[in-house]
Amino acid sequence: MNARHPPGLLEGAFLILRKDLLIEWHTRARLNALLFFALATLLIFSFALGPDTKLLEQNAGGYLWLAILFASLMALGESFRVERENASLDGLRLLPVNPRAVFLGKALGNAAILFGLSLVLIPVMVGLFGVSLALGLGSLGLILVLGCLAISAPGTLYSAIASNGQARDVLLPLLLFPLIIPALLAAVKATSLVFQGDPMSQLNSWLLLLGGFNLTYWGLGVALFPQVIEE
Amino acid sequence: MMLDRVLPLLIEQLAAQYPVGAGRIQGGWGYVWASYGITWGAFAVYSLSLWLRRAHPPMPEEHQ
Amino acid sequence: MAQRTRQGLFALAVAMLAIGAWLGLSWAPPDREMGDVQRIMYVHVPSMWMALLAMTLNFACSIGYLLKKSWAFDSLAEASAEVGMLFGAVGLALGSIWARPTWGVWWTWDPRLTTAAILLVAYAGYLALRRFVEDPERRAVWAAVTGIVAFVDVPLIWYSVQWWRSIHQIQSSPKTVDPQMVLTLRWNTFAFLALGIFFIWSRYRVAQSERRHELAAPPTLPSAPQGLTASGVRL
Repeated sequence: MNARHPPGLLEGAFLILRKDLLIEWHTRARLNALLFFALATLLIFSFALGPDTKLLEQNAGGYLWLAILFASLMALGESFRVERENASLDGLRLLPVNPRAVFLGKALGNAAILFGLSLVLIPVMVGLFGVSLALGLGSLGLILVLGCLAISAPGTLYSAIASNGQARDVLLPLLLFPLIIPALLAAVKATSLVFQGDPMSQLNSWLLLLGGFNLTYWGLGVALFPQVIEE
Repeated sequence: MMLDRVLPLLIEQLAAQYPVGAGRIQGGWGYVWASYGITWGAFAVYSLSLWLRRAHPPMPEEHQ
Repeated sequence: MAQRTRQGLFALAVAMLAIGAWLGLSWAPPDREMGDVQRIMYVHVPSMWMALLAMTLNFACSIGYLLKKSWAFDSLAEASAEVGMLFGAVGLALGSIWARPTWGVWWTWDPRLTTAAILLVAYAGYLALRRFVEDPERRAVWAAVTGIVAFVDVPLIWYSVQWWRSIHQIQSSPKTVDPQMVLTLRWNTFAFLALGIFFIWSRYRVAQSERRHELAAPPTLPSAPQGLTASGVRL
């Protein structure tokens, strides 16, 4: 990037993504807190639902995605915190960076953090809930990617809205949770199939739903984000 | 045979001891009245709230 | 003039609702299988239809506001969301009451009930957002974005939940249903529509009034409904 050529959409997105991930990495304390929060959530689920291992195994997909969802609230709430505290959103607005690039960069960053988190949680699931990967790691990886992307797109959009208001802690889950129910449903169902086997070949339908959801929400995010941060 | 004439009578008597319903839900007016009552009640309360919030004409001397 | 029309509309709606109630409670015959409990349909179905209509109006106004920053769109969006919540909540409650004697349960995770519940929470979030943002222009933009996103989600929610077993009624076409029932349902639908229009119209006026107070329009003739806001946005 130089003064005469403002970064294009993808280049701008990559720059924002790199900046955010670097900030997160340099202050690892927050990432660690996120991880421990997710682990604690999984632990509490296994205690709250009792020692019946059959039950835990059957519902493991649900617990995994709930843990990711709760952790996402922390991650998304963070998303614009740096900008808010340093009033650097104005700086971002003044720079010749396309606001859509800001959205793409931030949303991809959030998705990457959630995906990383979910990867760490998988061995915990295997240990704690006794699940096995009947359909293999590849399918699971795909579901995790699609699911994290699906949470991140509307989450980033709403995080920009909620983070400026008074009741930001309440507003983000209130706005986000109803909307991502289809994605959550699909991710949980698909994950359960991966854990328990898919005798009726339903996995593709759920993956398609996740894909469609992602297309819709990334599209909406790119289209609407500029209006959201406009002064 | 005697049974031809007795059997239907026997069956009829047996059936009369075990009455079957008309095949539909009986009564339930409590649910119906509750539903209509809730509907009208909600509309009445909302109408009242609209009236209480009704638009007042802007004052000419109002300024920041 | 508009005031008279509005009051007339209210009177019409009340009259139609009264007749509709008589039709539903007395004139229409009981259902072959559900008996008299089926009469709840005449208030439940129009309620849900009005809720959907109101949400669609909210969607249109949200898009409208983002395209052309007119306060009329924002006020109409606010009004239709609130009225939609009212009809939706009533419809959901009635659906639950109807379910009790017919399905034996107060609640079930069938696609329509589930989608309706999710929608209500989504629009409650919309209304909460409106309450928490103080700057009128920011509020209007963010509410519009939220309204658009919520509405686009509706078919997604519907299809995802649809893949679970549904025990909701298959929509009967009028040809297979008793004509007295069809008439009763149609009449009540129009009655609810009249009331819904009255509610939205009145709530729109309340919203516009609030906007005027917030924006402290420069002194104009009290009778003139239009003014300019501080930033030059037309009211």
